[in-house]
Amino acid sequence: MTWRAGLLLGVGALTLPFWPAPFVGVAVLTVVVLLLVALDRAMAAPPHALTVTRSGDRTVRLGGTATVTLHLTNPTHHTLYAQVRDAWVPSAGARPDVPPQRLLTVPPGGVATLPVRLTPTRRGDRPAVALTVRSLGPMRLGPGQRAGQPATPPWTLRVLPRFDSRRHLPEKLARLRVIDGVQVTRGRGHGTEFDTLREYAVGDDVRSIDWRGSARRADILVRTWRPERDRRLVCVLDTGRTSAVRLGDEPRLDTAIDAALLLTALAARAGDRVDLLAADTEIRARVTGSGRPALLARLVEAVAPLEPTLAETDFELIAGEVLRRERQRSLVVLFTALEAGAIGEGLLPVLPRLATRHRVVLAAGSDPVLSRLATATPTGPDDPYAAASAWRALAERDRVRAALSRYGVTVVDVPAHRLAPAVADTYLRLKSLGQL
Amino acid sequence: MTATVTPAETATAATPRRRRHRLLVPLGLAVLLIVTTLVLHAVDRPDTDEPGFLSPVATDDDGGSRLAEALRAQGVPVRRETAFDGVLQTAGIAPSTVFVPAPGLVHPDLLDRLTALPPGTRVVFVEPSPRVLAELDTPVEAAARRWAARAVPPDADGTPCPLPEAVRAGTAAIDLQRYAGPAEVGHCYGGALLRVPGRVEVVLAGASDPFRNDRIGEWGNEALATGLLGGNRPLVWLDLPEPVPAPTRPSWSPEPFTEEPAQGGDGGRSERPDPPDRADPPWENPLWGAFPQWFWALLAQLALAGLLVVLWRARRLGPPVSEPLPVTVRSAETVRGRARLYRRAGARDTVAETLRAAALDRLLPRLNLPPDTPDDEVAARIAERGGADPERVAELFYGPAPEKDRELLELARELDALTRTLAPHPSEGDTR
Repeated sequence: MTWRAGLLLGVGALTLPFWPAPFVGVAVLTVVVLLLVALDRAMAAPPHALTVTRSGDRTVRLGGTATVTLHLTNPTHHTLYAQVRDAWVPSAGARPDVPPQRLLTVPPGGVATLPVRLTPTRRGDRPAVALTVRSLGPMRLGPGQRAGQPATPPWTLRVLPRFDSRRHLPEKLARLRVIDGVQVTRGRGHGTEFDTLREYAVGDDVRSIDWRGSARRADILVRTWRPERDRRLVCVLDTGRTSAVRLGDEPRLDTAIDAALLLTALAARAGDRVDLLAADTEIRARVTGSGRPALLARLVEAVAPLEPTLAETDFELIAGEVLRRERQRSLVVLFTALEAGAIGEGLLPVLPRLATRHRVVLAAGSDPVLSRLATATPTGPDDPYAAASAWRALAERDRVRAALSRYGVTVVDVPAHRLAPAVADTYLRLKSLGQL
Repeated sequence: MTATVTPAETATAATPRRRRHRLLVPLGLAVLLIVTTLVLHAVDRPDTDEPGFLSPVATDDDGGSRLAEALRAQGVPVRRETAFDGVLQTAGIAPSTVFVPAPGLVHPDLLDRLTALPPGTRVVFVEPSPRVLAELDTPVEAAARRWAARAVPPDADGTPCPLPEAVRAGTAAIDLQRYAGPAEVGHCYGGALLRVPGRVEVVLAGASDPFRNDRIGEWGNEALATGLLGGNRPLVWLDLPEPVPAPTRPSWSPEPFTEEPAQGGDGGRSERPDPPDRADPPWENPLWGAFPQWFWALLAQLALAGLLVVLWRARRLGPPVSEPLPVTVRSAETVRGRARLYRRAGARDTVAETLRAAALDRLLPRLNLPPDTPDDEVAARIAERGGADPERVAELFYGPAPEKDRELLELARELDALTRTLAPHPSEGDTR
């Protein structure tokens, strides 16, 4: 039914005073209207005969806008008058170019293109859920609509992390080149691995002149050094309960992903091999960095659907997985939270095994709210209590940090927005010291 | 090699079904219970239309053979009549007791002939319907009806019972249908047994239980039944095998059953309205005639049109879309929660101690003092550097715990001011 059928019946009611038997008139008019509705329905293009396909973007960065187009083909001999609603999950931020209320006209054999603009509000997979087609006849009296007719063409838009820390990448790469000894002539480059012999240039360290090589040639040659290449790096993302805590306006997990991506980009450029592991009570994602060129893209794909779970992280599982997969000595960067309960009971028991085989860095973004609570000038009666509570939390964190340092773990504990550059700096420092 | 473990989405499909079950199962159980109760009650109730109901020759549960035997044992002559006219003839000779166990089977138009019997006659009706009461011209109306018969004493509602038979019988299971009438009508058993005095004495019994074979042995049922029907008058027992049809002509004839087929077959009840020429005109709403007929037709059609509009609006364009929301934990939630706990517990001493320790932790390295410096020296150095009174500083750091929230706030403010001047926090000024 549409409102037109009701209106028709209502207008027909006005003729009732002129009928000899008004109740017979009611029956006749109702039957006539229902017959018209049935006739109109029969003349409408059946929804199950339509073919629907989609095309468009498969991935989009968080904050960007993707376009997915719905192609509605009408293979029937009837003109299709239809209202089409293409429903996505709310967080996909779908805005159809053709609103669902608008009546669409598709001639027989024609195709309607319905673009949908999607501005997702969250990272992860955003699926199209339901397609509903309400087909009307030429009189618009009886709409035909049935769930699942036509079937919803599946489409999932993968929303990739924003990777805001990209802006730090040029600066870090420049520092990497300094360490590599590629760019700067002064100094012999950091690192311990012999790289090449080249001609002496003014400003080079005289200590790096290779006399034996110079004797064989007419020029004075210097040795250049470079940091070790083909080291291994493992990023471990903790997706347990502590990763759900919001730091500023995003969860800790998103901060960790951002930092891990910067670290991966940097390490891939430095010629190191990067693996990634995301786990809470089970392994959520795993990337092994064999194909180097597409590593970052694959990594982004893998971490995009990660969600924090409300479960205690199983560090036993993580340590076992890292030890099993990484035979060589690697740099294990653990993105988690400095929380006494989670670290003390989960990580500390397994840390000795991990720390003897690998170099462990624990990266934990701290909550800026916490230090603000601790150091703000108290104004209200609640403030001293909040400050004391915050100081206590900070003291607990210091204790955890001290306990971790005893095992030779490097702890990166900075405000969340500085986590990505701080982790990159730690990596560069370790690399320049040859401690990878 | 990339492997991403996606969370399972099996729960979404099962949830609506489970929710529907959660609603349907208890409702279904309740409906089943109610239906079973109603069916059992209907089966358990004796059917007054059935042949053999309260018949003096029927020995089953619904029969009245035990009652007839008891009466015969008392020496009461029991005369069974299977035809209504036979009753009139038999009882018309001399005053007697007429027992009508199923007044519903007698056509209402015939009932007033029972009241025309010789004076001194007593007519006993079992569970008469309101229509029977109206036809009998008694001033009695049907009152409350119970779900099942209950045993009550004769003076159940506090008024003494005027029927000596009932008083003699005592408690009896007769309280099923109650009747109400004016004061001259004798009430017993709270209205379940009524005696309407007159030329012909009419007795209304509210339940068939005291007369039936299956329950005549309980309470004082037998005494009540034999008392009502016995005495020195002969008993005429009306045992009708089928409903008595309406009279064909104004004066009754001895052979009324032959011409007219029994109306309505087996299920035909005599309470049913009779042929249209004799029935009262059905009650009509006066509003019906106040407007022309097309007005009502117009209203009906507009309602139908409204129904169509409702149907149109009720069909939505696809279901609402749901999605699992991510876990969100507010920042510093535990810290704020602990602060509220401190506040509620009034832990001013702990709070003051924590704040003092935190301030000292920040001040001592700035003043190049080892952690085990004596208290008075610390206070003196801080006072010297901060330009404050040493005693005041000692009071601030080592004084007693504050008693009130205001004092605690004061303490926190002073500590904050002191540390801010002597040892600014590294993160201060960095608002990002």
